[in-house]
Amino acid sequence: MSPPRDTAARVRKDTARTARDTITRAPRGDTAVLAAHIPPAARLVAITNATILTASHGTIEKGTILIRDGKIAAVGSNVTVPAGAQVIDGTGKYVMPGIIDAHSHSAGEAINEGTRSVTAEVRMSDVIRQDGAGLYRELAGGVTALNILHGSANTIGGQNVVVKTRWGLPVDSLIFKGAPPGIKFALGENVRQTNGSPPPGRARRYPFTRMGVEQLLRERFTAAQAYRTQWQSYEKARRDGKKGEVAPIPPRRDLQLDALVEILEGKRLVHAHSYREDEILMLLQVAKDFGFKVASFQHVLEGYKVADELAAAGSGGSTFADNWAYKLEAWDAIPYNATLMADRGVVVSINSDSDERARRLYQEAAKAMHYGGASEEAALRMITLNAAIQLGVDKMTGSIDVGKDADLAIFSGHPFAPASRVEMTLIDGRTFFDRRTAPTLESQMQQQRRVRAVTTSNGGAQ
Amino acid sequence: MLSIILLPESPAMRFVTPGAAIAAAIVAASGSASAQEGTWALTNARIETVTHGVIERGTIVIRDGLIVAVGPSVTVPSDARVVDLTSKTVSPGLIDLTSTMGLANATQPAGRVAAPAPAPTPAAGPIGLEPDRTIADELKLSGAEVKSTRDVGITAVLVAPNRGAFRGMSALVPLRDSAGTSRVLRSPVALHMGFQGVGSGFGGDYPGTLLGVIAYERQAFYDAQRLGLMLDRYRAGQRGMARPEYDARLTALVPVVRGAMPVFFDANNENEIRRAVREAKEFDLKLVITGATEGFRALDALAGRPVVVSVNFPKSNEVTGWTYHWMMQHAPNDSAAADRAARSLIEGNAATLHRAGVKLALASGGTRGSDFLSNVRKAVTAGLPRDVALQAMTIRAAELVGMGEALGSIEAGKIANLVVSDGSLLGDSARVRWVFVDGVRYEVTAPAPAAARAAAAGGVATAQVAGTWSLTINSPQGAQDATLVAAQDGTNFSGTMTSAAGTAPVADGQVVGKAVTWTISITMGGQSVTISFTGEVDGNRMTGSAQIGSFGTAPFSGDRKP
Repeated sequence: MSPPRDTAARVRKDTARTARDTITRAPRGDTAVLAAHIPPAARLVAITNATILTASHGTIEKGTILIRDGKIAAVGSNVTVPAGAQVIDGTGKYVMPGIIDAHSHSAGEAINEGTRSVTAEVRMSDVIRQDGAGLYRELAGGVTALNILHGSANTIGGQNVVVKTRWGLPVDSLIFKGAPPGIKFALGENVRQTNGSPPPGRARRYPFTRMGVEQLLRERFTAAQAYRTQWQSYEKARRDGKKGEVAPIPPRRDLQLDALVEILEGKRLVHAHSYREDEILMLLQVAKDFGFKVASFQHVLEGYKVADELAAAGSGGSTFADNWAYKLEAWDAIPYNATLMADRGVVVSINSDSDERARRLYQEAAKAMHYGGASEEAALRMITLNAAIQLGVDKMTGSIDVGKDADLAIFSGHPFAPASRVEMTLIDGRTFFDRRTAPTLESQMQQQRRVRAVTTSNGGAQ
Repeated sequence: MLSIILLPESPAMRFVTPGAAIAAAIVAASGSASAQEGTWALTNARIETVTHGVIERGTIVIRDGLIVAVGPSVTVPSDARVVDLTSKTVSPGLIDLTSTMGLANATQPAGRVAAPAPAPTPAAGPIGLEPDRTIADELKLSGAEVKSTRDVGITAVLVAPNRGAFRGMSALVPLRDSAGTSRVLRSPVALHMGFQGVGSGFGGDYPGTLLGVIAYERQAFYDAQRLGLMLDRYRAGQRGMARPEYDARLTALVPVVRGAMPVFFDANNENEIRRAVREAKEFDLKLVITGATEGFRALDALAGRPVVVSVNFPKSNEVTGWTYHWMMQHAPNDSAAADRAARSLIEGNAATLHRAGVKLALASGGTRGSDFLSNVRKAVTAGLPRDVALQAMTIRAAELVGMGEALGSIEAGKIANLVVSDGSLLGDSARVRWVFVDGVRYEVTAPAPAAARAAAAGGVATAQVAGTWSLTINSPQGAQDATLVAAQDGTNFSGTMTSAAGTAPVADGQVVGKAVTWTISITMGGQSVTISFTGEVDGNRMTGSAQIGSFGTAPFSGDRKP
C-alpha cells in the first residue's frame, strides 16, 4: 500500500493550474471557469483505512475503496492500492454511499404547472438550473443524487428528472444518465385545491374531491389506452402497406398521452404524492385495473396503515422522518411510519421535500433508529440504496459495491452521530465537495469575481 | 478630387460653421421643413460603407430613395441638391431588430423594458399564443416615437411583441414620419418566440409557467409537422381524403417547422439560451437567438448560430444567472465590487461572443434614445472592435432579416438609409445631424435625454416616486402590507422594499411617464422568487399589479407617506 499523500495540497495545486489554463485558453464558456474549482477526477482514486458503511453488506473497519474511472473497482479490508492512485486518507473517517434524496424540488426554475390538473406532458428536465445555492448545500450534506419532481398541484403532474449534484458544471451535466423516466402524481388536498381559492372571476379547477381525482385518473388512462390502440393500428397499416401505396398518415402525436402510455407499458415510474390510507388504496386499485405499478408513494404518511398492501403491490414508500399534523390530511402521521412500513416489507426511503432538510438527511435517517428501532444499516438504506431502488438506479448507485458509480460521502465521524459532518463528497470518483480545500460559498463567490474580472480584462486586451 | 458641383455660396457663409452653412444652404435650396425628399448628392463626406471599407472623401448620390452612386469621384447629377459634408461621417442607417414600437398596449403584454401598461386588463384571447399574429397589420406608429428613435440613427426597426411563447410574425418598418403599413420593408420576417406563459399560475390559463410553455411549444411544433404532411397530401390529390381542419395558428407554424420561416427566439440568460437551442435542434428550426445578454456563458451553444445581442445591459443585481444571483444576495455588503465585476462581464458580452466566432447583430433590446449608442460604445470599450460593432448594427442585422441586398451598407442600388454625424458614429463625441430614410432627409434636433424618454412615453413628464410608500398587495393568500422606500435618479430609481418576507433591494426600478416598474427577489419556501411590480403613479397614489414569480399576479395599491 502506497503511503497516504497530502491530497489537500495536491488538490489545491491542481485547482490553481486548471484555473490558469482556463484563463489562458479564453474565450471559453463561463462554466469552464467554474469547473476549474472542481478538480478533475483522477483515473485511480483510493480511500484508505476508513470505516466503510456499505449499505448493502455491512460495515468494513479499516477498509479501502478503490475507484477506477469513476466506478468502484474494489472494496474491502484487504485491497491493494496500485501505484499512481490518488489516495485519500480515511483514517478516523466514515464513508457511506452518496445520499439520494427521493423527493426534491431543488434546481427547478418552475415547479408547478398548476393551470390544469393533468400535465403529464411537462418535463422537469426542461427547466432545471445549475446555479442555486441549494445544490451546493446538498452536496455539502453528502447528497449525490436528487429526484427532481414536479409539484403536487396536479393529479398527474410533470415528468421528473433524476440528477446528480454536479454543482458547478453546466446544467446538462446534472442529468443522471441511465435513470429511468418517471412522473409525479398527486392525491388529496393539494390536488383538489382545498387550501386556496381561485382568483375572483375564475372557476375552481376540477376535481374538487378525492372522488374526482379517481375519476380523472381513470378517464385519462382510458384515453391513453385508446391512443395506444390508434398508434398500434397505424403501425400495423404501415407494415402491411404494399409498395406503391400511399403510406397512412400517422395519428396526432399527443405528448401527454405518450407519457401515460409509457406508464401503462411500465417504462415510466410513477411517484405519487399521498397522505391518507384511502387515497393510497384508491391509486393502488386504479394501477391494478390499468395494469401498471406505482414505483413509490411519496410522503405516504398513513403508509403504516396499509403497509401490507404496499408491499404486495411492490410499491415503495418515501416518507418524512417525523413531520406530522401540519395539515388536516397529515393528522394521522406518526414518526414510526418508516420503520413500521419497512417491517412489513416495504422498500422505504426518507426524503427531504425541502432544500433545508436535504442538507442533513443523514440525521433524518437516524430518527428511524430512534423511532421504531430500525437497524443501523436499515436506516442507512433509507437515504441510499432504498431511494435508488425506488428511482430505478440501484444498479448504478446507492451502495458501496464493486461496479457501481463511485458516489460517496466521507464523514468526520459516524453519519448518525450528532457532531459528525461531511468532509468530502465524490460523484463518479470526482471530488465535488471537499471541506478542506473547497471554498465556502462566500469565498467561492469572491474567487469567481476575481477570475471573471481577469478573464474579461485579458480578453479585452487581445 | 473636387469634380463636383458646389452650391453657390454667398461670401458670408464661408465664415460660419460647416453645419450651419449646410443647414442654411438646404433651407435656401428648398425652403421646406425638416423632412425632404428628392435627388441628393452628399459630397466631401467620410463614408463608412461597412461592406467596402471607408472612403475618406467621397460622394453619395441618392435618387428615388435609392443610392445610385457612391465613391471618391462620382459625377453629381445636375438636378441633385448638393450637400457638402466636409468633416462629416456618413454611415448606413442603423437597424434595430428588437423593437416593440407601434404595438398597442392592449395587445402587448408589458415586458421588462416596454412601456408598461398601468393595470392588467383582461385580454380578449390568450396573449402570446399567436403564431399567426401579423404585426404589420396592426402597427400604429406615433410620430414622437419614430422621431426619438430615428434621431439616434436608427432607420428601420423589426417590430414584434416582447412577451409570450408564440408572439407573432414580425415586420421590418422604416422610420419615416409617415410610416404606414404600405411602407413596411418586409413582412412577415420571422416568428418571434419566448418563454413566457399566458397567465397566472393560480387557476389561470395554460401554459402558465416555463414548464407548460416549453411543453406547449413542443406540442404545437409536432402538430404543425403533421398538419404540413396532411396539407401536402391534400394538395396532391383531394379526392378520397378528408380535408385537414383549418387552423390559422398551426398553419402559420408549418413554414417554421420546415425551416422556411426563421424563429427569433428571445433568450437572455444562459439556461434560456440552452433551452431555445435545444428546442431548435429538436425541430430543426432556423434559429436566431435574440437578447443573449448572458451569451458569454453559453458560447458552446451559440457557436455557429446567428445572434441578435441586446445592449440593454441587465442591472448587476438582476437575477439572470448565478453570478447575479449571488451578487444580489451579497449586495448590501459589497455592492460596488459586485457591480464592477458584473458590469465588465455583461458589457463585454458582445466582445466575448465575437471572439468566439459568433456572427452577431447588435440591438437595443428596448434601450431607449441615446442610451442605445452609449451602451454600444460601452460594448466597444469592453473589447468589441468598432468596425464589427457598426457591421452588427447594419449589414449583419439586414442579413438576418433577409434584406442584405437592400439595406445595411452604403452601396449603389441599396435603399438610401443613411446617418450623417459629426465624427464617427461610434466615437465618444459623435453627434447625429441628419438621418436619411428611403432618401428622405430628416434633421436631428438633439433632444435632452429626459425629454426623449418623456416623448417615448407619450409626452408625459416623468413621475416622482421618491419617498416612502405604504403599499398593500392583495395576493391570493390575503392582503400583504409592504413599505417601499425609493430614491429617484431621472427615470431610474433604487431603494428597498420591506414586507413580512423581509427587506429586499429594489432592482431595475424605472419610471416612464406615469408608469413605474421594479422587481424584488424574496425567499419563499426555500425558493428564490422574483416579484415584478408594474404600477402607475398619480400624485401620491400608486396602483398596479405584481407578478409573483410563477405563482400569479396580484393587484396592489398604496400611498406615499407625507
